[in-house]
Amino acid sequence: MAATTESVKADAAEAPLLNVKNMILGSLVYLVFYAWVRWYEGVYGWSAGLDSFAPEFETYWMNFLYIEIVMEVLTASVLWGYIWKTRDRKVMSITPREELRRHFTHWTWLVMYGWAIYFGASYFTEQDGTWHQTIVRDTDFTPSHVIEFYLSYPIYIITGGAAWFYAKTRLPTYNEGIPLQYMVAVVGPFMILPNVGLNEWGHTFWFMEELFVAPLHYGFVFFGWAALGALGILNIECTAIAKLLKKDLA
Amino acid sequence: MSASQSAVRSRAEAVKVSRTFDYMIVFVLFFIILGGYHIHYMLTGGDWDFWTDWKDRRLWVTVAPIVAITFPAAVQSQLWWKYKLPFGAVLAVLGLLFGEWVNRYFNFWGWTYFPVNFVFPSQLVPGAILLDVILLLSNSMTLTAVAGGLAFGLIFYPGNWPVIAPLHVPVEYNGMVMTLADLQGYHYVRTGTPEYIRMVEKGTLRTFGKDVAPVSAFFSGFVSILIYFLWHFFGKWFGSMAFVKAV
Repeated sequence: MAATTESVKADAAEAPLLNVKNMILGSLVYLVFYAWVRWYEGVYGWSAGLDSFAPEFETYWMNFLYIEIVMEVLTASVLWGYIWKTRDRKVMSITPREELRRHFTHWTWLVMYGWAIYFGASYFTEQDGTWHQTIVRDTDFTPSHVIEFYLSYPIYIITGGAAWFYAKTRLPTYNEGIPLQYMVAVVGPFMILPNVGLNEWGHTFWFMEELFVAPLHYGFVFFGWAALGALGILNIECTAIAKLLKKDLA
Repeated sequence: MSASQSAVRSRAEAVKVSRTFDYMIVFVLFFIILGGYHIHYMLTGGDWDFWTDWKDRRLWVTVAPIVAITFPAAVQSQLWWKYKLPFGAVLAVLGLLFGEWVNRYFNFWGWTYFPVNFVFPSQLVPGAILLDVILLLSNSMTLTAVAGGLAFGLIFYPGNWPVIAPLHVPVEYNGMVMTLADLQGYHYVRTGTPEYIRMVEKGTLRTFGKDVAPVSAFFSGFVSILIYFLWHFFGKWFGSMAFVKAV
């Protein structure tokens, strides 16, 4: 009886397999933050973002750029550093239940990566098309670029890196080496950021007609394909989770 | 870790856990595939997709299906061949359309004030349904590539016809005959707008009159077959579970 009571108490005190609150809170962080960013673009894109030589451009857009770059470097250092520093050094000796719990946390990170990739590669990238079809650019750091290249891309890089570090440091599944497609899914989209160098060089070297399908942009396309590495992550994860649940689902 | 220990307390909990993972997986796949597919599509066929004055009877019909069949083929190569889930193409296309519609409304209209009936995206769902149904019924990659790829190209223009037809009626403006879509473009000048009406129906295609779109669709279907094959194998590579020792 006493043992049963203890066991029930332990169950009640045990952390849930999936922390739904964390997942909702994390999702809200992305949604609310990007809603604010979109509001900022709407207001200060037109009122202060048309002429890069104007003082208000410096105030509202260049300062935004400087602040975001510092914040991104800090966030990446602290987040990745924390996940690495608190890594599990005995990852192969965790219980199956703990492993299942960590898979849920890992998928919570992947949900965040889903949000981050969506806003970066889809929402703010296509938005760039309509802004530059409307406003003739006179700088590499247009309001659209300040958000797309230097905010939304680093955010998905930081998020993808965090998911990767979590998987590598906490899950036995990833202890046998470096999962090739996980690397592709995280490093490929990361390479879109350095590719901005090619993009800006081309746009400033050739005064191009604002065509989105111009060959200059194909570097983005190539690295965008890397998102399909998610299929490899899916297969690795499904195999690992099936192994944990197989006996009970039979 | 003991092999005899169970990760769950009961069969009911195992089922619940499995379902929860299903939802999370679908969400993550939807948005990550959406991101990759959208950046690919907007930068290889985007201009034809952004504006109605680019949605002509020749190049739009040719280019859009060829660049759009890529991700559906890759996703099918995993969802069907590993999990027997017959909705890989539709999942990819719905993701793309979600990303496009949100953008066209909140950004093309909401930020730069182009009317939505000038910037709506192309319709790709009929072709995606055909790809999934052919794969489901045939269980054959080759048949899906040949019959599905061809169908994907052929169905594109008819699938878009109900929306685009009213914008392809001829109008006379300043002494020139153009389409209503051309007139939209004339009034909504963009930085990429040339100083002339784009004349895309060149050569004998133009003398064939009404056959421009079918000929273009047929050519598009042919190339879509080849692209399907290629991207099916890309998808298989991306789905690999290989681990490497060093990078």
